Amino acid sequence: MAGSQLKRLKASLKEQGIIGAQKSKKQKRQNAQDLKGTSDKRLQRSEALESIREQFNPFQFKTNARGPKFDVTTLKSANDRTSKGIHGRPGVSKSKGEERRRETLLVEMQRRNKVGGIVDRRFGESDPTMTLEDKMIERFTREQQRGHNKTSMFDLEEDDEEANGELTHLGKALKFGENPSWRDDFNEDDLPSEDDNDGIHPDRKHLKRRRQRGPDDGDEQEEEGQPERKKTTKEIYDEVIAKSKFHKYERQAAKEEDTDLIAEIDKGLPELQALLFQRQKPSVKVADKDKAPVLVAGMNKAVLEKDYDLRVRLLAEDKRAQPAERTQTEDEKIEAEAKRLRELEEKRLKRMRGEAVSDDEEEPSRKGKKESADDDEPAFDPFQSADNDEFGLGKGIKVRPTATELGFDDEDDFLIDDDLVASGSDLEFDESGDDMEDEESGDEQDSESDIEEDDEFVRGLLTEAELKDSIFQAPSKQKGDDQDGIPYTFPCPQTLAQMVETFRSLDVPKVPVAVQRIRALYHPKLDSGNKERLGNFSQALVQYVAFLGDSFEPHWFPTLESLSRHIHSLAKTFPIEVAKAYRAHIEEMEAERPLALTVGDLVILTAIGTIFPTSDHFHQVATPAILSIARFLGQKIPQSLADYAAGTYLSILAIQYQQLSKRYVPELVNFCMNTLCSLAHQKPKTNLGFFPLHEPATGTRIKGGSKTAVRKLSCIDCQQPEEILSDLQQLSLKVALVSTTVAVLKAAAETWCGMPAFFETFQPAMGVFQHLASKANSKHLPAALVNKINDTTTILSRLLNMARLSRRPLELHHHRPQAIKTYIPKFEDSFDPNKHYDPDRERAEGAKLRAEHKRERKGAMRELRKDASFMMRENLRVKKEKDEAYEKKYKRLVAEIQGEEGQASNAYAREKAARQKKNANARERR
Amino acid sequence: MPSAVGETAEQSAVKRKRQEIGDKSKKRRKSVGGNDDDNDKLSQIQTLESEILESRKHYNNIVLLIEIAGQKTGDLETPLTAAESLCRVFVQLLASGSLVKKKDVSEKDATVIAWLRERYGAYKEVLLSMLQDKALGFKALTLAMALLKVEAQHLEGKDESTFPQVFFRDIVGALLQSPVEQLRQEFYDTFVAEYDDIRFYTFQGIADFLTDRDHLASEDVRNKVFGMLLRIDDIPGSSEELTDFYIDAPQKKKHPLYSLAQHKKQAQEAWLAFINLGLSKEQRKKILEIMAISIAPWFAKPELFMDFLTDCYNTGGSISLLALSGVFYLIQERNLDYPDFYKKLYSLLDADILHSKYRSRFIRLLDTFLGSSHLPAVLVASFIKRLARLALNAPPSAIAVIIPWFYNLFKKHPLCTFMMHRVPRSKEEKDLIETEGVVDPFLPDELDPMATNALESCLWEIVQLQSHYHPNIATIAKIISEQFTKQSYNLEDFLDHSYGSLLEAEMIKNIRKPPVVEYMIPKKIFTKVGPASVPEEKDSLLVSLWDFESS
Repeated sequence: MAGSQLKRLKASLKEQGIIGAQKSKKQKRQNAQDLKGTSDKRLQRSEALESIREQFNPFQFKTNARGPKFDVTTLKSANDRTSKGIHGRPGVSKSKGEERRRETLLVEMQRRNKVGGIVDRRFGESDPTMTLEDKMIERFTREQQRGHNKTSMFDLEEDDEEANGELTHLGKALKFGENPSWRDDFNEDDLPSEDDNDGIHPDRKHLKRRRQRGPDDGDEQEEEGQPERKKTTKEIYDEVIAKSKFHKYERQAAKEEDTDLIAEIDKGLPELQALLFQRQKPSVKVADKDKAPVLVAGMNKAVLEKDYDLRVRLLAEDKRAQPAERTQTEDEKIEAEAKRLRELEEKRLKRMRGEAVSDDEEEPSRKGKKESADDDEPAFDPFQSADNDEFGLGKGIKVRPTATELGFDDEDDFLIDDDLVASGSDLEFDESGDDMEDEESGDEQDSESDIEEDDEFVRGLLTEAELKDSIFQAPSKQKGDDQDGIPYTFPCPQTLAQMVETFRSLDVPKVPVAVQRIRALYHPKLDSGNKERLGNFSQALVQYVAFLGDSFEPHWFPTLESLSRHIHSLAKTFPIEVAKAYRAHIEEMEAERPLALTVGDLVILTAIGTIFPTSDHFHQVATPAILSIARFLGQKIPQSLADYAAGTYLSILAIQYQQLSKRYVPELVNFCMNTLCSLAHQKPKTNLGFFPLHEPATGTRIKGGSKTAVRKLSCIDCQQPEEILSDLQQLSLKVALVSTTVAVLKAAAETWCGMPAFFETFQPAMGVFQHLASKANSKHLPAALVNKINDTTTILSRLLNMARLSRRPLELHHHRPQAIKTYIPKFEDSFDPNKHYDPDRERAEGAKLRAEHKRERKGAMRELRKDASFMMRENLRVKKEKDEAYEKKYKRLVAEIQGEEGQASNAYAREKAARQKKNANARERR
Repeated sequence: MPSAVGETAEQSAVKRKRQEIGDKSKKRRKSVGGNDDDNDKLSQIQTLESEILESRKHYNNIVLLIEIAGQKTGDLETPLTAAESLCRVFVQLLASGSLVKKKDVSEKDATVIAWLRERYGAYKEVLLSMLQDKALGFKALTLAMALLKVEAQHLEGKDESTFPQVFFRDIVGALLQSPVEQLRQEFYDTFVAEYDDIRFYTFQGIADFLTDRDHLASEDVRNKVFGMLLRIDDIPGSSEELTDFYIDAPQKKKHPLYSLAQHKKQAQEAWLAFINLGLSKEQRKKILEIMAISIAPWFAKPELFMDFLTDCYNTGGSISLLALSGVFYLIQERNLDYPDFYKKLYSLLDADILHSKYRSRFIRLLDTFLGSSHLPAVLVASFIKRLARLALNAPPSAIAVIIPWFYNLFKKHPLCTFMMHRVPRSKEEKDLIETEGVVDPFLPDELDPMATNALESCLWEIVQLQSHYHPNIATIAKIISEQFTKQSYNLEDFLDHSYGSLLEAEMIKNIRKPPVVEYMIPKKIFTKVGPASVPEEKDSLLVSLWDFESS
């Protein structure tokens, strides 16, 4: 704005019409007409003046230092006060604060040290402005209010009390609104509503608008506006009702139209249906004849629906409707098989690396299988089953004699001897099997497909066994026992005790036949309860194998082997049951005899090694098994030769467990070294390595065994001998121990030759071998063994050399440097620079709290400071008043005294003059 | 202490008299012993007791009762009842002041008092001998302690109670010789653990007991004393805590019972008296084990242990391990200067350490010793490398601790991280490695941890353990080849594992998911592959090394 302050003031005054050129008489009259009532006019005038004053006082508002922000940078509405850059009104707030202080602080200050605790709650007592009526009204309201506060939630007397508090006239309750003439005519309409007063800004705006419009038309509009507004509410409701009625009618009309249309289309449906079925005609031959009546009876809805259902069922049941599986050529089958093997191997490798995969991968594949119709599963193909035998070989597949070639046309034929099935059930069998499949829901189908898959294994196993074992070729004869005296029927043993009882009459080598028969008799397909029965049976079988192992005889091992294989094939169907049985065995073993394993335990541990993949990073059964093996190897301090033998067996097992995954077993090395050092004729003079050495029991060291033949260890050596072994037997056992241990160490070295610390691990072994081959020791060992040791030493030294050459310094930390976590900038919809976008919730909350604290603190400090200054001011004021009063009093007193003095002196002077006069007179008289 | 002197004099007098009475009682026993019936005896005891309490005339009944109490018959009830009634009698007498020596009494009364005191002594003897008995011991202990309390209050006839030290010493002595182990436990639980003064005088009693016997004490007695000393392990923290007294607290403010230093002194003397007798190996181990926690704090001068500990520490083996904490206590609390401490510590890392029963304890200490970030990296590297070597032959539970510990050390001594990551600097160096491989520069036989070249070496051992058979250990071992983002591992989470706990952790999980089964069923497990089979098949390692066929 140009011009000086004064000029601007003048301009704005002129603009508001407060000053200006002399108005003509006509204008004046008009003005007088427009603005009825001078007070109104004056009010307006003073308001205008006020706003002008505000405009010209630069300290009235606190504004942004840099002026108002641009509209584009802020989301706040344009007419918001803050958007104009006005933050506050220091003058107003200051006066408000002052006022409040005067009300509270000042009162407190004045009361301080003076006023007691009595609060005068009386009203109007000392208020001369209240008239008697006012007082009565006030008293009435108070009474009402007091009654209004409910004393208790369940106060039933409340109503009576209210009645008591009611105003009565001549015994009748007075009520407003009973008589229309009593109605309160107090109308609030002409009071300004609260909202209008809110803030100064709308006020000003309103004023401005009025100013722009001129004072004349403002009232007019108001007069016009008021009746119209009243009307609209009523009208609006009327309108709404009318509209909704109209819409309702419209909807009804539309619906009727629709139903008409549907009816019309319905009439044409039979033709459409005919068209539809036309296309399927060739595939559904059976339905051919039915079609004509359908067409004829097109109008009959019931018939039509029934017919439709029939058709759907026919379609669902017709197998030919589905595309048949293409017969695969021999090459394709081999390829598919190889692919399957590859996939399995890949999964195994993944498990070995400890990647959590198998489930996710298995799931889709299984689903895929499920989707392709379950009865067309390749598992049903008898040709396919033959190929499953090739698993172990992987490559170089050679076609085995298939089941058909062996004379078994059907898997059921193979599994169940005719005479085992109760007469009459033969016919039902197939059907029942089918029914079962039909009834099964999705989940069961899933497991069923597993079972079927496993059936192949049973078959495969048996086919395989068939080839080599004459026992399996049990010719079926129609009598209770076959020629070996094995009955054809067995109860299905559920516990170990039952199983021992069942097989008591049998020779142990014949047990596998019995097991096979039980598995056939209780095949899950034959009865719904068989699944559970076989599950228990497989658990009992595990225990039975351990039981047999404990009381073993050497010729039982083929039996144990075939039983273990049976368990393996059962484990495919009942993985959880079998795993639980093995885990229970391990648990029992660890609780009762962790350091005194029996042969049964050894057999079980061996079986675990073949049944479960020991190469897995973690396996529910294999991991505890290797752990218990390692526990024996690590903690057992061998006392007898049997302990050494058991340990050696477990060492072999440990190596075999790690054949694929090549994991390191420290306990194995310790045990082997300790065994060798203990058995050597002389104690090693120097410390050979960091493995713990246990002093052997007396008589353990080999002495004079140069003539002994080297044999292999057997399971008998693991048992504590009943009678003390002769010296020769002991010697041969010791030599066997040394030779086996050396072989184990060699196998271990070959398994772990790629290990980074291979050199450190096997350097001590080298020392032990050299110690064994030294002259003092070698003369007590047979020459063949010494040669073997020497051979192993050379192999080991070659491996050690290789390890040394291939070793590289470790470079483990070629990690990419880690990025500092960044949260900001991050894209944000409706970004507001005033807001804080801290993604760290805690930190954001902390910051918020801190900011609030800071603000509050500042506010409190400011308040305190203001309080203090207010108090100072007040004190000063009081003091000034006091001083002034004192001064006044003093002056008054002084003046009084002076006046008195003056009077006195005057009187004195008068007196004096009088006396002088008198004296003079007297003198004169004299 | 005049009272003590008086009492000892009195006792000798008692002893003299007792012989005479003993002669008399022998005669009496014949007459009394006629009634065998139990009920008769019990009622007889009751009548005797009530008679005594009735009038002074029947004081002679005391002798009878003592005799009954002292009988060594199979019958338990009679001596117990007798002892009980005697206890009541003496409590009454004591309370009424009948046993108090007074100056202004007639000669007759004085003899009665003296006589009663003698009987009192005899009764105590009986009680003490009862302590040796398994069945009577507990009751006798209660009676003796009750008497002790009353005696303290009334025997001297003063207002203030005085602790009857002689009597108490006898009780302690009898307890220490008693074959009943539970009795000592009972004594500890109800009295020593509860009352500060009892503990004070127990220590005194033990010290006296041991010095009296000196080297004559048998191994059995020593073990008993040792057991007793081991039990007393609740050391008061300050003099203010000494507030629980069995006998009324002495009025003097400066009484030794109020001073923690005096308490400690008594304990120290008892322990020293015990240790001076010489220790068996087991006792030595036990002492070392609890040294830092419950023995050394008793000692006003733990320096007295210095030689003992250093000797033990130098012994080697598990004794060394155990002495370590004691030595550390002295280093920490008493500023003991142990030259070549780290060298000695390094020498403790032998083949057995990770298999030892005290492994966790040792590693905890090791963690404290190597906790300083001001140690030379060379030294730390030596410890790391040595332990890594040992880990190659260690049980999984040990590996589980040391690898997180390595991690913490690497964090603290970044210089040591060269052991995990060493890039050849020059081309020549690289070529040399390519052609000749690497020989570990670490010197395993070097005794000085500052000269082992461990810092130039690499931790191949730990990398090997990344393929440990136990999946969890393998995972733990992998932390050193991953980025070091964690600040540190809390060792306590990894300590105190064993094969058993690892197995249990595996076994506790229930199988929900069907476990994977090997897809291939092996043809052979125990039997040899026949000659007719496919040439690719080979015997498994087990079959080739083991004989399953012949017997």
